Amino acid sequence: MPRPEFIYVTYIETTPEKLWHALTDGNFTERYWFGARLRSDWKVGSSFEMVRSDGTVSDAGKVVEVDPPRRLAYTFVNLSDKYRNEFPALATFVLEPYGKLVKLTLTHEGFAEDSKFYSGISKGWPAILSSLKSLLETGQPLEIPYAALKFEN
Amino acid sequence: MSKPEFVYTTYIETTPEKLWHALTDGDFTERYWFGHRVASNWKVGSPYRFTHPGKSSPEGKVLVSEPPKKLAYTWNGCSDETKREGPSRVTFDIEPRGNVVKLTVTHDNLDEGGKTFRGISEGWPMVLASLKSFLETGRPMPAEIQSHAA
Repeated sequence: MPRPEFIYVTYIETTPEKLWHALTDGNFTERYWFGARLRSDWKVGSSFEMVRSDGTVSDAGKVVEVDPPRRLAYTFVNLSDKYRNEFPALATFVLEPYGKLVKLTLTHEGFAEDSKFYSGISKGWPAILSSLKSLLETGQPLEIPYAALKFEN
Repeated sequence: MSKPEFVYTTYIETTPEKLWHALTDGDFTERYWFGHRVASNWKVGSPYRFTHPGKSSPEGKVLVSEPPKKLAYTWNGCSDETKREGPSRVTFDIEPRGNVVKLTVTHDNLDEGGKTFRGISEGWPMVLASLKSFLETGRPMPAEIQSHAA
């Protein structure tokens, strides 16, 4: 019995092109993604990695769909030991213009029923996407203490 | 079969007191809640009511009022159809996290497959995105977006 998907919707005062850049440019993601730089050439089938500030890779997967500035999808799983039995799950971003705003819908799916990674991403996405919205609208990301997410273990 | 619930978390650069005020003051809600003004004395058991000229708005009763940490109220939907589904419940949990505030909205006691559940699942992300923009930038989001989902 698989887990239901995790869905998060938000609206951001920006353009689809700027939001696409914010989701795919490592220098930009570093500012709102708890310091993580995304690394990929964004071609379908290419590798996808999240790189910490010390250069180590925290999460890895593959690029599945690239349709700028509308749809982006990739799989990834955290590489730490506590998730060693888990498969990469699929994260899909859909960007839709909404007047002066962009509606961003994230769907993260394909988790096993007992997935620990699912509970991790459920806590992580609201913080990351809140910080992304702040950065695009105010020029400053949020300073959310990583410890405040209260990951178990 | 468990009843569906809708949970949405957002992080806002503000204080718990300002966020509480934004959730409970009609002058504030009118600006980010697409014109809907709320009014209540916010005492447990008291009624509250949103009003909007020419539109129907939710109303209900205050269940929990612990400023600036927790607010809960019953929710009687906007239309005749959603009102028939009976009152659901909305809970706001406000938690400081460093210099930002974590807001968790839980909407439960909903009917399975009901109109209210579909409506609020679309509505909360808009209202809470607008609230966040308003508190962080001083500008709410344009009301035009609501016409896409109403």
